Amino acid sequence: MSGTDAASRLREAVASLDDTVDRLASLSRRNYHNPYEAAWPQAVDPEGSWYTTPELTSLYGTSVWDGLAEPARRRLSFFEAVNFFSLNIHGEKMLMAGLASRLYRPDLAGIADYLHHFLDEENKHSVYFGGFCRRYARIYRSRQVEFPGSPFTAEQDDFLFFAKTMIFEEIVDYFNARQAKDARLHPLARFINEYHHAEETRHLVFGRRLTARLWEVCAPAWGTEARESIREYLHAFVVMAWREYYNPDVYADSGFDDPWSLAERAWQAAPQQAHRRAAFTRCLGVLRAAGVFDKDPADAF
Amino acid sequence: MLSEREARDALRSWVASKAKPEASGRIDDATPLFADRYLTSVHVPELLLLLERLRGAPIDPERLGPGDFHDINTIVRRFCTPAPGRLPGG
Repeated sequence: MSGTDAASRLREAVASLDDTVDRLASLSRRNYHNPYEAAWPQAVDPEGSWYTTPELTSLYGTSVWDGLAEPARRRLSFFEAVNFFSLNIHGEKMLMAGLASRLYRPDLAGIADYLHHFLDEENKHSVYFGGFCRRYARIYRSRQVEFPGSPFTAEQDDFLFFAKTMIFEEIVDYFNARQAKDARLHPLARFINEYHHAEETRHLVFGRRLTARLWEVCAPAWGTEARESIREYLHAFVVMAWREYYNPDVYADSGFDDPWSLAERAWQAAPQQAHRRAAFTRCLGVLRAAGVFDKDPADAF
Repeated sequence: MLSEREARDALRSWVASKAKPEASGRIDDATPLFADRYLTSVHVPELLLLLERLRGAPIDPERLGPGDFHDINTIVRRFCTPAPGRLPGG
C-alpha cells in the first residue's frame, strides 16, 4: 500500500463532507463564544449543592451509595464533577494536539476550516474545565501514558484519532446532555455542561460522519488482520475511556478507605454496568452501522 | 500491600485476560508485553489501577516510561516489592 494511495483515499473521504463542514463552520461562527467573561463564584460548597447528577455518579446503585447520607452524596458528586472536568482536560489536550498536527495537511485540506473551529472550541472548553478545577479543587492526574511508536500505519492512525475522538466525546456528551437539564445541579456545574453540550453536538455530527466515511473508504484496503487489530484496539479504548469515570482519587478525596478496591467494586457493580451500556448505546449504534464494530466491547459492560 | 506472590498471580491473570485467547498460553513472566503487542498503550491506565490496588499506594504517571512495563518480572520488581528496584515515589 503506497502513501499516495492512502492520501488519495483520505481526500476522497474528506471531500464527501464538504456540505457538512460548511454548515458546521457557519454554525460555529454564528455561536461564537467568549469564555473569559464568565462570573466565577469566590468559593463553592461541596456539600451544599449537587455538582454531578446523582444518578450519574459512579457509586449510584451500589450498597455504598445506599449507605451515604445526602451531604456525603453531594460531596462525592462534587469530586466526581472535578474528575469529569479533569478527564475532559486530559482528553482535550490530546485532541487539540491531534487537531493541530492535522491542520493544513494537504490530504485533509478539505476540512481545514472546520478544524480551526474544532480546535478553538476545544480550547475554550478547557478554559472552563480548568477554571473550575483550579479554583475549587485540583486537576486530577491522568493515568494515560503515551509510548513512542505506533503499531498502525499513518492512515490507520488518522482513522483511529477521529474514531477515538468520537468515542470520547459521545461518552462525555451523554453526561453533558443530562446534566445540562438537571435543575438540581449548582448553576455553574449546570452551565459548564450546557455550554459543552451545545458545541459538542456539532463536533459529534462531524465525528460520526468522518469516522464512518474514513472506514468506508480506507478500511477495505487494510486487510482482515489489520481491521481486526483496529477493532481490538478500539474495544480496549472504550474500556479505558470508561475506567476514568471510576477514579480512586475521587473516592479518597470523598473520604473513603481503600479507594482502589472501591473503584473496582463500583466498576463491577451490575447497576453501573447497565449504566455504561445505556450511555454507550448511541455510540455503539454509530460504530456498528458504519461497520467499524462487528460486536460489542464486552469488557466495557 | 499484597505479597509478591499474590501480586504476581494477580498480574498474570490480568495480562492473560487482555491477551487474545490463543496467545495467553505463550506469555510467561519474561515475555515483552508491549514490544510483542500483547498489550498496547490503551491498557496502561487499567494496569496502573491494578498496580495501585495491589500495592495500596498511588503511582505517578509522569515518572513512567515504556521500560517500566517491559514484562511481568519488571512490573513486579518496579511496583510490587519493597526492593531497591522500585521506582522512587512510583
